[in-house]
Amino acid sequence: MGELRVEQLSKAFPTAQKWGRSKWHTIFNNLQFSIKSGEFVCVIGPSGCGKSTLLSIAAGLEEASSGSVYVNDSPVRGPGLDRGVVFQEFALFPWLTVRGNIAFGLKSKGVPQAEVLARADKYVDLVGLSKFADYYPSRLSGGMRQRVGLGRALAIEPSVLLMDEPFGALDALTRENMQLALSDIWQETRKTVLFITHDIDEAVFLSDRVLVLNETPSRIVCELKIDLPRARDRSDPQFQWLVKQLDSAIRGDNNTTKHFGDN
Amino acid sequence: MKSEKTLTGKLLSNQVPVDSSTVLLSAGSLRHFGEFMVPIAVLLALWELVARFGGLPPSLFPPLEDIFRALLKMSGDGHLAADLAGTFTRLFQSIAIGAVFGTIVGTCMGHFRMWERALVVPMNFLLAIPGTALFPLTMIWFGLTEAAIISILIYEVALTVTVMTWTGVKSIDNSLIRAGRVFGANGLSMLWRVLIPAAMPSIISGYRIAFSRAWRILIIAEMLVSVSAGLGYRLYFAREYFQYDMVYAGLFVVGMSGLLIERVILRTLESMTVNRWGTVRELK
Repeated sequence: MGELRVEQLSKAFPTAQKWGRSKWHTIFNNLQFSIKSGEFVCVIGPSGCGKSTLLSIAAGLEEASSGSVYVNDSPVRGPGLDRGVVFQEFALFPWLTVRGNIAFGLKSKGVPQAEVLARADKYVDLVGLSKFADYYPSRLSGGMRQRVGLGRALAIEPSVLLMDEPFGALDALTRENMQLALSDIWQETRKTVLFITHDIDEAVFLSDRVLVLNETPSRIVCELKIDLPRARDRSDPQFQWLVKQLDSAIRGDNNTTKHFGDN
Repeated sequence: MKSEKTLTGKLLSNQVPVDSSTVLLSAGSLRHFGEFMVPIAVLLALWELVARFGGLPPSLFPPLEDIFRALLKMSGDGHLAADLAGTFTRLFQSIAIGAVFGTIVGTCMGHFRMWERALVVPMNFLLAIPGTALFPLTMIWFGLTEAAIISILIYEVALTVTVMTWTGVKSIDNSLIRAGRVFGANGLSMLWRVLIPAAMPSIISGYRIAFSRAWRILIIAEMLVSVSAGLGYRLYFAREYFQYDMVYAGLFVVGMSGLLIERVILRTLESMTVNRWGTVRELK
């Protein structure tokens, strides 16, 4: 299993150049948190708070300005098969079938050919697409496409699963189905998950802990533990209380760190 | 959601989606054949009318019968087969070399900044020089030989495919490249496993344009250079010997050959790749 640690992480973009001098826009400064092995952590925040940048840095697709992300104590220095990424825009390979997409990372890993197919099929099953294994992505619905995205990330058996607003592009009904599916799959696999979203309801439904990023430059303005039993009931008053807490944290009414269910 | 590990689930997983066009294959292809034959029949009928009743000298505007007879004669004495073999050998040799070169260089130019910076200017310079303008040069180098033709065809094909592949790779959605990197494609495997398949619609367009340019140049080149057999050579030869019906027959063969290559090779390549993947729109 895997543990993820974010240490003193800062990111700044050069904005405009004036007479050779760059102006820098700081997205976040000295961000610090860690995710325990087998823990599901959601990072939420308003758009532009840098939550997707945070995930890109953890995935090794972008470089930090300073500080590091550690996966099992080794610093991230570029993309690697110890991290599985699920993208908001699905990013499936349209020239590969469902099975081919899920097998993509396994082939990179150097898994022997015979085993690749067996292992790919296992994950095709896990995400519930066994009837569609030979379909090309262009024939699948949005929800099914993201199941492929999830299967592709899980198939490489990563230490950490990084999910970047994976259900953001889906309609409300499909999104709820996918949240339920993910919740089931997570309980089966117990992966360490960093999940980025702007949907508070989704964060409370899925995670063990929620971090709220806000202000400029962003920092963690609120941390909330969620100890409700799974699968969670959205109409539960405790669920709704948590949603309300996070909502006010995102709106900036509330800057205290809260631990629900600690006592 | 629970995973489906039942027997039926396994069996169904091997099912390939069936769409209506497969079911209606026979009727559809018959209709397709009609759509394709009617304009040809109309053209042939018009030709025959003008040739028979237009009052033009038959040597300049021979009726279909004469053209057909010339065609039979050419195929009977083995000239047609030799000409086709000669032309197609030259075409495929140069397309194979030029397309492989162009696909690889174009992909690298679209992906690596160093390659792009180094090659954009020379590429634009060369694009301004038509392949046919290189004839004086290749004739000096290689004499009036096959190599003079083939080198020009390779030049033209490689350049066209490079440009189309380069622009195709540059317009690949960045998320696909990010996904490729995350799932372990890097360096060469990025090229084979992500960039080339992702840019396949543009690459095939490149092959298509390259083929038609190469074909035009090849037919002309065969008239200029002393080769022993070839469709262009046959046209030239026929004019020299006042065999006008053979000129028409030769032109017919040139047109049909181009059409067949398009239909058989390029369409097959498309239906095996981009149409199957659904990365290009299919017209209903």
